[in-house]
Amino acid sequence: MSTVKSGHSSYRDRTQEFLSTAERLKKSFSSAAAAAAPNVAASGGPFAAEGPRSGVSIQSEFNKRASKIGYGIHQTSQKLAKLAKLAKRTSVFDDPTVEIQELTAVIKQDITALNSAVVDLQFLCNSQNESGNISHDTTSHSTTVVDNLKNRLMSATKEFKEVLTMRTENLKVHENRRQLFSSTASREATNPFVRQRPLAARTAATTSSAPPPWADGSASSSQLFPRKQVDGESSSPSQPLLHQTQQQQQQMVPLQDSYMHSRAEALQNVESTIHELSNIFQQLATMVSQQGEIAIRIDENMDDTLANVEGAQGQLLKYLNSISSNRWLMMKIFFVLIVFLLIFVFFVA
Amino acid sequence: MKITALMVLKCSGDGVTDPIILANASDVSQFGYFQRGGVKEFILFVGRTVAKRTPTNQRQSVQHEEYKVHSYNRNGLCALGFMDDHYPVRSAFSLLNKVLDEYQKNFGDSWRTIQSDVAQPWPYLNESLTKFQDPAEADKLLKIQRDLDETKIILHKTIDSVLARGEKLDSLVEKSSDLSAASQMFYKQAKKTNQCCTIL
Repeated sequence: MSTVKSGHSSYRDRTQEFLSTAERLKKSFSSAAAAAAPNVAASGGPFAAEGPRSGVSIQSEFNKRASKIGYGIHQTSQKLAKLAKLAKRTSVFDDPTVEIQELTAVIKQDITALNSAVVDLQFLCNSQNESGNISHDTTSHSTTVVDNLKNRLMSATKEFKEVLTMRTENLKVHENRRQLFSSTASREATNPFVRQRPLAARTAATTSSAPPPWADGSASSSQLFPRKQVDGESSSPSQPLLHQTQQQQQQMVPLQDSYMHSRAEALQNVESTIHELSNIFQQLATMVSQQGEIAIRIDENMDDTLANVEGAQGQLLKYLNSISSNRWLMMKIFFVLIVFLLIFVFFVA
Repeated sequence: MKITALMVLKCSGDGVTDPIILANASDVSQFGYFQRGGVKEFILFVGRTVAKRTPTNQRQSVQHEEYKVHSYNRNGLCALGFMDDHYPVRSAFSLLNKVLDEYQKNFGDSWRTIQSDVAQPWPYLNESLTKFQDPAEADKLLKIQRDLDETKIILHKTIDSVLARGEKLDSLVEKSSDLSAASQMFYKQAKKTNQCCTIL
């Protein structure tokens, strides 16, 4: 603080202080809370000021993240509402399957990202709470915020699941209706639990091997009718078959590929399913252990109740004893009194 | 999802010589009695032609009307399967693989010397025809996938019931804490009436 006295007016020139404070603020916002110290103008004051400011910056980071997560949850629930509308209005012919699947994939990604973000936020909140010098209100506020976000995310996930189940039911209904009206045998696509992807490999296999022309000759009848001149006909189609074999050869290599690809895909599916299963088991174990704690609490409550009730029973017993015993005493006293009265009456009268 | 026929042939893979049938098993019960013979012949013919045109160490699937003919030629020994459209291709080829392995185990290399069609039936082929009508049997991957999906469904149900259990436990905790508070009040009341001075 530098004071300048000139003539009658005395004013204090605090511009230096102001400049140093402004520098300090700039430094504390731009750098992380821990690293700000060395560059500031060398006074011990700023060091003390950094402490609470770092707390503030951590808190503001927490708030920023929480608001981002809340915004993300809001957007995801909007997308979910759109998906629900799409899933509801599907008719048999005008099925926006591609859109629905895209939207489903996007929403799933969002939900997993939000989930991990919420877990991070909770971790940050816990580390913050443990690091000490923050007020009790702040900790309760941050835990409440985290719980609120988790609840909202859980409700969004539940809605998502409901929408998916509704969609599968709709699909089943459509397939049933289609079966009623069309004569072709039902496809495996009706079973929602069958992996959809091997279907792609199968259709690739059918398109890659076009029926050779010698099959056309027998395709004149829709059923497998006997063919009399088996040997005679095998020679005549041999000519147009020559360049068919070339095509078949070219198509055979992708068939080998697709076979291997389909095997690799199936293996990957199995592996991802196993991962999901492990996740589910872990969540199950966590839930059961949490519930175990609750059960222990219930047990303690019941023990307390038992002790209280036994004590109360003892008290009541004592009470009963005291009441009954007093009466006996009173009776005796009254008896004696009445005897005295009677004697008095007899003497006087 | 039906397998109509399974065949094992010896073919040279050069696309000229007719393959020689080593084993044959077919299930033509779905056709009328009089058509069965013709159907069997037809199966033989189609099988021979497809096997002739399958190069060595290659797999091939040919679509014929409502049937798919899958053939796998391995070093001159070719296995063929007539399946309908729903049978998954991968399971079909794994089944053919299995058939070939079994054949080589049973007959060793003797098939190379056979020059004409073998007439006697091979019981393993007949058994496998009936056993593998369900593709899950043939393809272990499919079976595993199916089992895993069922397990996942069961686990989802389990988690739902565990959540319900959690809710019930929460209500139990509340009730028990209310009970303990009430019993405490009861105890205090009893103590109060006991200690209070003179009994009237």
